[in-house]
Amino acid sequence: MADERISVIKVRDILMVTMPADPDDPTVTALQEQALKAMERFEAKGLVLDISAVETLDSFFARTIVETARMIELMGGRTVIAGMRPSVAITATQLGFTLGNVMTALDVDRALDLLADAHQRRRRR
Amino acid sequence: MPKQTEITQEKHTGEGRLGNEQDYRLLVESVKDYAILMLDPEGRVVTWNEGARRIKGYQPEEIIGQHFSIFYPKEDVESGKTEKELKTAASEGRFEDESWRVRKDGSRFWANVVVTALRDKDGNLRGFGKVTRDLTERKQAEEALAQKAAAEALARRAQEILDIATPVVQVWEGVILAPLIGSLDSQRTQQLMEKLLQGIVDSRSSVALVDITGVPMIDTQTARHLVEAIAAVRLLGADVILTGLRPTIAQTLVHLGIDLAGVNTRSSLAAGLRSAMELLDLQVTAKSDGARG
Repeated sequence: MADERISVIKVRDILMVTMPADPDDPTVTALQEQALKAMERFEAKGLVLDISAVETLDSFFARTIVETARMIELMGGRTVIAGMRPSVAITATQLGFTLGNVMTALDVDRALDLLADAHQRRRRR
Repeated sequence: MPKQTEITQEKHTGEGRLGNEQDYRLLVESVKDYAILMLDPEGRVVTWNEGARRIKGYQPEEIIGQHFSIFYPKEDVESGKTEKELKTAASEGRFEDESWRVRKDGSRFWANVVVTALRDKDGNLRGFGKVTRDLTERKQAEEALAQKAAAEALARRAQEILDIATPVVQVWEGVILAPLIGSLDSQRTQQLMEKLLQGIVDSRSSVALVDITGVPMIDTQTARHLVEAIAAVRLLGADVILTGLRPTIAQTLVHLGIDLAGVNTRSSLAAGLRSAMELLDLQVTAKSDGARG
């Protein structure tokens, strides 16, 4: 039932997920499962995780994002976190959550740019 | 006949209606909220009421016959204020003052005092009437209000200084600049973070230049705050270039063993701006040969 809260959309060779404002643990778990399933099914180039609606980032969510990104990398894709709110970023930093080497972008557009040329990070417009 | 009516009238007022001399005395003696007393022409206390006892603390038998300067702070007696009050009251008929007075136990109270000259039909000075009110509570309330207003003004000014001290401006499409001036404490870092992140989101900038040329000293704490701010910017999807790392700052950072690894740093703001252009895939070229690029 938590699965219904997450929908993975495939656009060309990119997967997109929009997180709800206040994701609970089952939703976060569903995110990982759904994203990996979609990776397998579509052999996508990458995943854009839009968290612009998210108001709180807890340690479980942060850890799941990092883990999922690693798993997707193992499956041959890249992950970009897009649209983190300033307040969320401040809280996350103060609590010491990091997203490791996961790429971040100001919005979905730029996340797509990043993925389109993942190896040349400079090309950001 | 007239004599009889007089007698009956006197009897009547004495027993029933208020208003004779005795009643006046009763009124003055019973009033609790005002100290009402009489002074002789030299300023010695002649009468004392309940209000005077409550406000000033003396029993009638202690105070009657004493000079009224006993109610004044020492400095007022020395400056001749007490004499001046009586003189003014005698010449102008009335004197009013609001200032500190002293109770029997030595504590001070804020008093409103009215001294009225009492003269007989022929104009001879019989003495003075003195009415004193204790306005300490009002005075304290006023002072508390004034203090509160001053504290608020101070806090407002501090906030203004904070706002001025941490400007965030857009210097190019996609590049914002936060020139820091003065020392960085945790409160300022917090504010820097908020303004920087909001600036990035508002201007949709992917590079933020943080210039520390104006920061006099960097210690472990400040460096940690900066690293924190930079981490938050990265979470948003933008890059930070830390500029203004003068030789002394570079030395301090290495000697303190502060690790800014992973942070893009440049010695000058100009170098930082160039490197921001590179990140954005932009190039500045001279219009003609020979000019600097």
